[in-house]
Amino acid sequence: MRVRKGRHDAVRIRFEPEEAALVRTLMEQLLEMLGEPPAADDELAAVGITDQVDKPDDPVLARLFPDAYRDDGEAAGEFRRYTEMGLRDGKREAAGVVLATLADVFGEGGPAGQDGGVPGGSSGEVELTSDQAQAWLRALNDIRLALGTRLDISEEWYEEAERLDPSDPRMPMFAAYDWLTMLQESLVRAVW
Amino acid sequence: MSSAPAPVELERPDIAEEVGSDRPWLAIVWNDPINLMSYVTFVFQTVFGYPKAKAEKLMKDVHHKGRAVVASGTREEMEWDVEILHSYGLWATVKRDD
Repeated sequence: MRVRKGRHDAVRIRFEPEEAALVRTLMEQLLEMLGEPPAADDELAAVGITDQVDKPDDPVLARLFPDAYRDDGEAAGEFRRYTEMGLRDGKREAAGVVLATLADVFGEGGPAGQDGGVPGGSSGEVELTSDQAQAWLRALNDIRLALGTRLDISEEWYEEAERLDPSDPRMPMFAAYDWLTMLQESLVRAVW
Repeated sequence: MSSAPAPVELERPDIAEEVGSDRPWLAIVWNDPINLMSYVTFVFQTVFGYPKAKAEKLMKDVHHKGRAVVASGTREEMEWDVEILHSYGLWATVKRDD
């Protein structure tokens, strides 16, 4: 993976096919977790309101959509009712930008990411406009939040991961998290 | 001394209400072990238009003190800011200043 600045605030990221497949798989998992957009005949949903007032049970969703009030459950519920749908839409949209820009270079890929994409499995370079790069940053952050929450990441996670037995089943998730951290750090620097 | 309530006393509850509603609301960002320091600084610059030095100071406050007040204003303004911060994945809350 290599990130560099292009012309007119564009950003270019070169991915190995397996790296592109990893990002795609994680974005697909994020989309699955976010769920389908509401039905078109839902009148409240059409203006961005839901009857969802409780914090999600799933720790990842609870982290992606935190309570906006710490000590006022009622206010937190009202805030959620008026904002969560729009926030979910925004996150779906950003993940969609990532998948579309990857597909432009690596092809659509298989449903479970079995297909490496480019024939011959060579690396490819994604070119992002400044808006697309912003969407990438938000979506990459969402999948880092999801992975990090599942791994119960702490400030000392790096030391913990280094002490982890190589056969530990969490090892691939730690490796993916570490790689995504590098990618996001490089992308922030390129966009700044 | 008159025991009759003075007009000013009758108005007092209203005045108190008004003073209360003038108290600003705050948007607070909390520390978390996942969000990158560079990303958080970038978000503060992007969302609030803060200069880099101010954004970096706020990020460091979040990191070292566990939280920082990143904006203040009306309740509606702070809810709007917090909604945008949630869209970037920051852990933000609204609170009345006290």
